Amino acid sequence: MNTPINSLPKSILFSLAAVFLPFGTQASSDTPNNMHKLYEDNCASCHGSDHGGFIAPGLNSETLKGRSPTALRTIIMAGSFDTLMPPFYGRLSDDEIRGLVKHLQATPKLTNPAWTIDDIKASIKVYVKDESTLPAKPIYEIDNMDNIIGVAARGKYGRGSGSKAVFINSLTHKQIGEIATGTAAHIIDYNPANPRWAYVKNDTAEIFKVDLYSMKIVRSVKTGFNGPGLGVSRDGKYIMAGSYVPHNAVILNAETLEPLKTFELEGIDPDGKMVSSDSGMIIGTPFADIFAIALENAGQVWVVDLKEGFPVTKIENVGRHLHDAFLTHGGSKLMVASYDDSIVTAIDLKERKIIKKLDAGCVPHVGGGAAVEVNGRTLGFGTNFGDCDKMVVSVWDLDKMEVVKQIPVSGGTESPAAHANAPYVAVDIISKDRRARTIQLIDKLTLEVVKTLDVGGHAYFPEYSADGKFLYVSAGYSGDEVVVYDSSSLNRIASIAMESPAGIFSHGRVKYMTRGLSPDEFENASKMKGEK
Amino acid sequence: MRLTALSGLLLVGLMPQCAYAANLYAGHATAAAVCSHCHGIKVPSADAPFPTLAGRDVDYLKLALKQYSDKTRKSDIMNAIAGSLSDDDISNVATYYGRLKP
Repeated sequence: MNTPINSLPKSILFSLAAVFLPFGTQASSDTPNNMHKLYEDNCASCHGSDHGGFIAPGLNSETLKGRSPTALRTIIMAGSFDTLMPPFYGRLSDDEIRGLVKHLQATPKLTNPAWTIDDIKASIKVYVKDESTLPAKPIYEIDNMDNIIGVAARGKYGRGSGSKAVFINSLTHKQIGEIATGTAAHIIDYNPANPRWAYVKNDTAEIFKVDLYSMKIVRSVKTGFNGPGLGVSRDGKYIMAGSYVPHNAVILNAETLEPLKTFELEGIDPDGKMVSSDSGMIIGTPFADIFAIALENAGQVWVVDLKEGFPVTKIENVGRHLHDAFLTHGGSKLMVASYDDSIVTAIDLKERKIIKKLDAGCVPHVGGGAAVEVNGRTLGFGTNFGDCDKMVVSVWDLDKMEVVKQIPVSGGTESPAAHANAPYVAVDIISKDRRARTIQLIDKLTLEVVKTLDVGGHAYFPEYSADGKFLYVSAGYSGDEVVVYDSSSLNRIASIAMESPAGIFSHGRVKYMTRGLSPDEFENASKMKGEK
Repeated sequence: MRLTALSGLLLVGLMPQCAYAANLYAGHATAAAVCSHCHGIKVPSADAPFPTLAGRDVDYLKLALKQYSDKTRKSDIMNAIAGSLSDDDISNVATYYGRLKP
């Protein structure tokens, strides 16, 4: 409910009355079909279209076995305070909530649904038919497109009017545009060849091609049901998207979003079992005309050549349950996080083989990673979100490929931010208590935590502006704002309101490849082009 | 997500107990830990069926919370949540929200 601010006193009774009047009061019969629709419309974007879990736990007969229906009802009604789970009180009727609990406890994880290349093709929506009608330059004041910061706002309910990608000028900290994404925005990627295009992926696997000059959606395509994987090729001609549901990936024409080839994700895992796999990270690299994609469950990284037929080179035994990754050495080396064996595996994309497996704390989630050059060494920083006795951020020497230090931090971490011009590497503490409000700052030189920022809300996904002068942090969940700090003084200087902001993506990333590296690294990579 | 630890939400008071009246810091802590999940700090979600609390009349907020607390005003969810607040908590959180600009 929207309460106009200037009419607050008059609307008090009305507003409070709304609490007693649930939205979903229409009679709903308790049939599995109705309940499945209710699940898809309210729960699936976070808990997975197949009930198998996505950014939130799987909800099926196996995972909910033995759980008290009353306790489950309470969680749906009141939400879960330390997580993104919102309160559905007033949005779903009591009957619907009771019906859902019964339905979830009786439904096994669903089999992989089909979403074929034809489905993808048919899902394309064209919002701007003739792109020549778009403005030739930004319709707002901006010196350099790299100063744009995109924020994936999830929206309180993971869908609805709060779900959008918000774009901010990181010099003025003012919003310059936004696009509605229907369900929670998750990933924002930029076209390295043309600064006007951005690609936004939401939690129901739709990709929006966005014209940053006019801040308009030009086209969209639905590549699956759930899954965050998204990458753009160095020439800006292709994008690749991967899904958790179904287990596939697709290469699209970056201009038209037409699907060119789909890939069934399956392979032999490190234990010798043939498995069908979720798609983990997908990355384009300035090093070559390739995409690299992690097959989460199969523990493989596939390198796809962007040429006739899109041939695949499979690298096996990378780890058990791969997730995300970052590039180093001009994009020729890929550091892939593996949850279950708590390692980061270094892969040589030139030779297409494993270089080394490095210790990475516990349950590493590198969240885009960070690399910084300190005293002639290139150091990589790895966050990890596991619950362990010893919480650390791992630092690796990326030339020697060895562990330099494991820096003690106050809890689990999800994403490191670094910038060549900023003195600190920022990591988000995500442990589900008061620590979640904080960001810790690691001094690049001493490799010690030197400061803890209390951001409020649930602070996560730090990101530096392209010039390195400002540190942006999502203070999501009930915080509902993006907070901006001065990178050196660490004074709080601005706040931008939005609903459950999550990932923050600087346009500068196309210039420095991995956060923390200087653009020179990228220049070197350009010189290496053609070498393969 | 630790569902089990959170499932007792409606039964357990989560907020620090405070001995003095109208402590804004304590009010903020209570608002952040208890109220904001539905009502937001400055505004609730645009899609949420919950009223804005920021900028409301402090006495009104106190009265409403006391009525929910002693169940003269009925609401399954608010009776449980307000019932877990002490008089000091109510005073602190009402003052905090009342002084906030939405």
